[in-house]
Amino acid sequence: MNRFFILFVIFLHAYAFLQAQVKENEAPVIPSRTEVWSFEKEFPDLLKENQIRLNSGSLAASYEPNVKKKGFRIKDKGSENASQNPSEKPYKKSKDNFIWPDTISDEKEKIEVLQEDIVSGELDWSGNLNLHVNIKTGAFSVVEGNEIFNMPVQSMDKAIQGRAAGVHVLSSNGIPGGSAQVLIRGMSSILASNQPLYIVDGVQLNTDQKAAFTQTNPLAFLNINDIASIEVLKDAGAAAIYGMQGANGVILITTKKGQAGKTQIQFNAFGGSIEPIKTLHVMDPQTWYNTRKLAWQNSGNPSPEANALNNMGILPQGWQNLSPEQLDAVAAGLTNYDWQNQLIGNGNLQQYELSISGGDNKNTYRIAGSFGSQGSTFDPVDFQRGTLNMAFATQATNKLRIENFLNLSTIRQEIPFAVSGSFLGSPAFIASTVLPHNPIFNEDGSYNTDIKGVFNQNVAMVNAFNSGFQRGNSAIGNLAASYQINKNLVFKSMFGLDYRMLQGEQFRDPRTPDGQTTKGRLSIQSGWNANFISTQTLHWYKQIKDAHFLSILAGVEYRSENTSDLSGLLTGFPAFEIRSVEGASQVESLDGASFSYRRAGVFGAIQYDFKKKYFVQLTGRYEGNSRFAAEQRFGFFPSISGAWSIKEEGFLKNSESISTLRLRGSYGQLGNDRIGNFTSQGAFMPGGTYGGNVGLSSGILANNALRWETVTSLNAGFDFGIFSNKLFGGIDLFERTTSDLILEQQLLPSNGSGTVLINDGELVNRGIEFTLGTAIFSSKKFHWEATFNYATLQNEVTKLIGDQQNLANNPAIAVGQSLGTHFTQEYAGVNPATGRAMWFDAQGNITYLPTANDRVYLGNSLPRHYGGLMNTFKYKGFEVGILFNYEYGRVVSDGQYNFLRENASRLTINGLQTVNRRMWQEPGQITDIPRPYIGGREVRSVNMNSGSASLLNADFIRLRQLSFAYVFNEDWIKRKLCVASLRLFAQGVNLWTYTSFPGYDPEFTGSGIGIIPQMKNYSIGIQVGF
Amino acid sequence: MATIKLNRLFRPFGFLLFLLLTLLWQSCDGLLDVDNGKGINRLDALETPENLEALLVNSYSRLQSVNLYGRNLFVFGDALADNGVATNNSGRIVPEARNQVGAHFNHWANSYAAINELNLIIEAVPKVVAVPAVSQTRRRRWEGEAKFLRALYYFDLVKAYAYIPEVTVPELDRGGIPLILEGIGPNDFEKANQRQVGRSSVANVYAQVTLDLRSAIELLDDSRGNHLASQSAAKALLSRVALYNRDWQTAKEMANEVFSEGKGRFLTGNEYREGWMLSIHPESIFDLKINNPNESIGQNESLQSSYTTMRSLEFREQTAGWGDFVPHNNFILMMGIQTTGVGATLNIQERGDDVRSFQYDIGPGRLVNRSGRRIECIKFIGKNGFDFGDNVPIIRKSEMLLNRMEASFQLGEEESALEDLNTLKSARGLDPVELSGAELLEEILLERRKELAFEGHRFFDLKRYGRDIIKSQGDVPFSDFRILAPIPDLEIRLNQNLQQNAGY
Repeated sequence: MNRFFILFVIFLHAYAFLQAQVKENEAPVIPSRTEVWSFEKEFPDLLKENQIRLNSGSLAASYEPNVKKKGFRIKDKGSENASQNPSEKPYKKSKDNFIWPDTISDEKEKIEVLQEDIVSGELDWSGNLNLHVNIKTGAFSVVEGNEIFNMPVQSMDKAIQGRAAGVHVLSSNGIPGGSAQVLIRGMSSILASNQPLYIVDGVQLNTDQKAAFTQTNPLAFLNINDIASIEVLKDAGAAAIYGMQGANGVILITTKKGQAGKTQIQFNAFGGSIEPIKTLHVMDPQTWYNTRKLAWQNSGNPSPEANALNNMGILPQGWQNLSPEQLDAVAAGLTNYDWQNQLIGNGNLQQYELSISGGDNKNTYRIAGSFGSQGSTFDPVDFQRGTLNMAFATQATNKLRIENFLNLSTIRQEIPFAVSGSFLGSPAFIASTVLPHNPIFNEDGSYNTDIKGVFNQNVAMVNAFNSGFQRGNSAIGNLAASYQINKNLVFKSMFGLDYRMLQGEQFRDPRTPDGQTTKGRLSIQSGWNANFISTQTLHWYKQIKDAHFLSILAGVEYRSENTSDLSGLLTGFPAFEIRSVEGASQVESLDGASFSYRRAGVFGAIQYDFKKKYFVQLTGRYEGNSRFAAEQRFGFFPSISGAWSIKEEGFLKNSESISTLRLRGSYGQLGNDRIGNFTSQGAFMPGGTYGGNVGLSSGILANNALRWETVTSLNAGFDFGIFSNKLFGGIDLFERTTSDLILEQQLLPSNGSGTVLINDGELVNRGIEFTLGTAIFSSKKFHWEATFNYATLQNEVTKLIGDQQNLANNPAIAVGQSLGTHFTQEYAGVNPATGRAMWFDAQGNITYLPTANDRVYLGNSLPRHYGGLMNTFKYKGFEVGILFNYEYGRVVSDGQYNFLRENASRLTINGLQTVNRRMWQEPGQITDIPRPYIGGREVRSVNMNSGSASLLNADFIRLRQLSFAYVFNEDWIKRKLCVASLRLFAQGVNLWTYTSFPGYDPEFTGSGIGIIPQMKNYSIGIQVGF
Repeated sequence: MATIKLNRLFRPFGFLLFLLLTLLWQSCDGLLDVDNGKGINRLDALETPENLEALLVNSYSRLQSVNLYGRNLFVFGDALADNGVATNNSGRIVPEARNQVGAHFNHWANSYAAINELNLIIEAVPKVVAVPAVSQTRRRRWEGEAKFLRALYYFDLVKAYAYIPEVTVPELDRGGIPLILEGIGPNDFEKANQRQVGRSSVANVYAQVTLDLRSAIELLDDSRGNHLASQSAAKALLSRVALYNRDWQTAKEMANEVFSEGKGRFLTGNEYREGWMLSIHPESIFDLKINNPNESIGQNESLQSSYTTMRSLEFREQTAGWGDFVPHNNFILMMGIQTTGVGATLNIQERGDDVRSFQYDIGPGRLVNRSGRRIECIKFIGKNGFDFGDNVPIIRKSEMLLNRMEASFQLGEEESALEDLNTLKSARGLDPVELSGAELLEEILLERRKELAFEGHRFFDLKRYGRDIIKSQGDVPFSDFRILAPIPDLEIRLNQNLQQNAGY
């Protein structure tokens, strides 16, 4: 099969090349009957429009054929002109047969004509894979490329944050190019991945984050400015055709393509500055000393002053002869050094892009190159990327169309000592926790290495001396051909590749504590991933009279993925300047492994509509994955969905006030097979080493009955538009039940502690999401539109292994509870009489020694309510965009804050002033921070941070993006500046956050210890079209 | 023209392609087969000698874990008892030194995982085939090694999670531990799912350990390195087990055999002091090897780091480890060490005659101004050429002498007990004593404490005599439930037949 594929690819390339050669000599002759195919390429948007019209979109605005809008967006007639996206250009060309509307208005008849011819080729056969034939009766959201254009984020997942209802995006941290958690309609799995399936122009992406030394978002390979649109498929009606991969929803990304017409050259650049959102108000040396002294006093120590000074490493010689007052004076004379100020600073961001697109009726192209860099508030953390995005299409013959897209990218990220974790060299961990009386530099300007306190490294020096980087190169592209077999039948073939190379190095300088013991320490990482996909489809469709439209699609798909990793640790470098592998004298470890999986499936879809009033769609996919035992590999995933456009009924047809009204419903099954490639197979694994040999270890047991998880999705939706869609919106109610939940069954420790994956469990996500949009004010001069989206979700685990009420290895996951629930002892505050921290026991009584039996379910780390609000204002050439996103009901534990909350009582580290002010000091005081006590716990008690004492409310409303732009009048600039278009803009990201969160930032995932926090940035830019 | 030709070509081509791919898809049974790049299936795994030996390697390797001989079996054995104090330099060992509830040995899961692998090995030994044929000697060695290791794991479990035979607190005593002698391999999911083994009696566990060791003594010889199981190691361990089991006769017999002829060399005087500076302790009968930095537990939790802040014997003034657990003042005095000053001014004035006092020295401390300087135990400072890596002498020759004198005393042979005691004393530079009865026993136990300090014995030596732990952090009477370690929560939750130790 591989040979066959290679032959085919060579053949297609040769053919495309041939065509390109021939082109110059031949006048383009376009037979009228096949015009559909060239139109499709020339006017992809129109086709898309048409397609949406044909099949009915999920939301009000997307259905009406005579209003130019998609998804949730209404674009008024004028706004198209201001579009900065080349693919969004207005349709000004005219053809023999049709008058193309330059602003699509009441061209009903023309659309009808379109329907018969173009519509037949309607499916988005262009560069994009066409599986979303099925989305029209399902639930989906669309984010257009121009909505996120020039937003200074490195990956599209972060760009759609707050813009699509029911899509919860949370950045893991503030690392430029770092990861984000994306949940579409909640978490449907406990053990398998909850990540959606990402598809770029038909190429299913491998989205494993594999960077060892920092985070590299697997979606960062694509410059978001090369994206034409993003579609989020949410229910079975939309995603079931993706079968075993569809359970978490699907995100379809369509890249920009060239268009026939005048060659367009566009230059785009922006630059700006990055600033911390917040620095923490930490204690000064005197406050620290006094608190520590108090802690020693409270612990009954007879010489608290001396002990506190000793903890600060500044106990004077002969202290036994000094009075407490004299000892106090030692502390009083200390200088406060602002380590956060030293370590947290401003960074720069910049991006430059040049794109060229154009073509004629037969060939179109678009080539775009970009280079960008984004710094951060923590030196040297940054992100640099170069991309080259190319798209070619040729109408080879009347019937054959060949397309190709290729995105090349290279990413480089500088790394700090660590991007998370409680490492003594981790800048974001130490900046706020190092004792503040430590000078950063000596008087001669050298680094102070005499750092007192338990975090006794000079983190500024450590990060200045150490070095390292993470690099990722990728080539992602496809080659597609569509062939019009006859008027009603199209064959399409697509081969795609997602190829990635990952590299990283991390050097521990021998001048720093971590490199000292081994004369330097170099960690290296290399990884390769080749992800190949082939999709072959046949599509038959027919319009029967005016009433019936029938479309049948069938296809096969094959995907394979091969990954190899190599990592090593080397030591013994002759000098700190020597940092390459060849300079190492000893290989401490060298590890590597290879993984692969294969997936194959057949799928089909049948769509029928009657007079654009009633729509029915059936999809099915029969699919198998190598991850499961041979007899359990294949499963069938069906869906049925329908829509009723009430507006088309006689009684509403002529209604002036109601412009859209439609009901939708879908039911179907999707699968989740995202577990480890070999985890269903029992095996002896490479184990520990001893005496120069490597061992084998048992522990993973085979379950030949293991299957995918099944998500049964039920969706009911309602779309409306009132007063020419001045007010429009959609509501979706959904229920997603995951059955056959894959769980890790723990064997008894006495049976060897092995684990085995089994299908035994069930959980449900129920929720409502809605979008409400309105063109509040719309006139020729001034336009204001707003879109609000909201989602609420309830997650409930309904069954776990056997009749277990909670998971043995994670009792927080329990029947009747939501995923993400905290399971811990409830904090009862501080005893006003004694200042001791108290908890509730299982009976609700106060206890100082809560045990595991006193744990209760409280607070959830998943938000209960979330969404976004977008506002767009336009006045003459001015544009203002405001995007908020919000989350409510999220309760988290922030590990960084937990260290700071210890209030100088346990470790000799700094704490927060705000915590310190709240600490209990006198009887009767009601507070949540106990009196300081050495060790962080009172006698016969537990750590002060135990139980829910450290849980924090992480609700926020964030001004995600604020942008201003001025678009120069086209005629004017053409005359004066000889350029086709000119746009100046300024924007800010994360400028304002409403939150009560006491740590660095409420937006993070994981433990939060030492993570690079979120940042804000400002930029200005220019866009010029030639 | 070209266009038209190709057009014709493509018309059937498209159909063919689709058909072909469909057919390929249906005909290829192996379409979804991938190489399992990671592990090997059980059936292959334990069929060859190499597989079996690799599994055996893992059972040694597990001993290096933090919860076994990598740290806890040594450090907690002293921290839970009365030899030292926690410094709170990193916060580690503080809960154990304070005998906080739940701060205890935690090698249950790792040990049973090893036992499971050893059971698989013992079952597979007769089945392994190879060309050329596996020699009987080799099979005997495999079985002997596996049985020795199984005995070691079971003994370390039963001594921590259950009472010592006949020395119990009846109202807290819930018996021994599960005794499992049948392995669960990668394809035994059903069996694993159904098997819930409850406690065997303490006596039965000791009986099985003894049986395994007797068998290992039969099967093994002393031809290989000290880091591997040997006949001497099996005898020495049996001597220790018998001492715990109050089988004084066996304890004495085995100790005698090993002491007089087995592996290891009993060191005296200055040679003893230098023995601790060598990578492999000459007294070692069974010595856990830490071959490379990768096998070392590292900067945070290794034996070296737990006990001392010193980088190495060469760089005594450089700070490397945490020095989380150091000798108590009383212990320092007991070793004959006289000091002056504290912190920066701490100084050893006099060491006395006991050559063992050289295993305790002033470390650089964790605080830059030297205020955290203390006397630390440097027995396990890295001597393998890298930091935090030192071989762990699990059984030393001196212990055999101690076992023998104690067993002799208990058998009523006070004369030979006293003789052994004085042999040891003079080997350590101390004057001989003339004692009998309870006083003699106390002196024997005191020498045992001094000789084996920071090697994980103290807690169990108190435990097997039912004695209270008297310590400045708060006494722990023998009747306290904290004498036994808590069985992991997971085991208790899943195993219907097993009851948690009292108090937890």
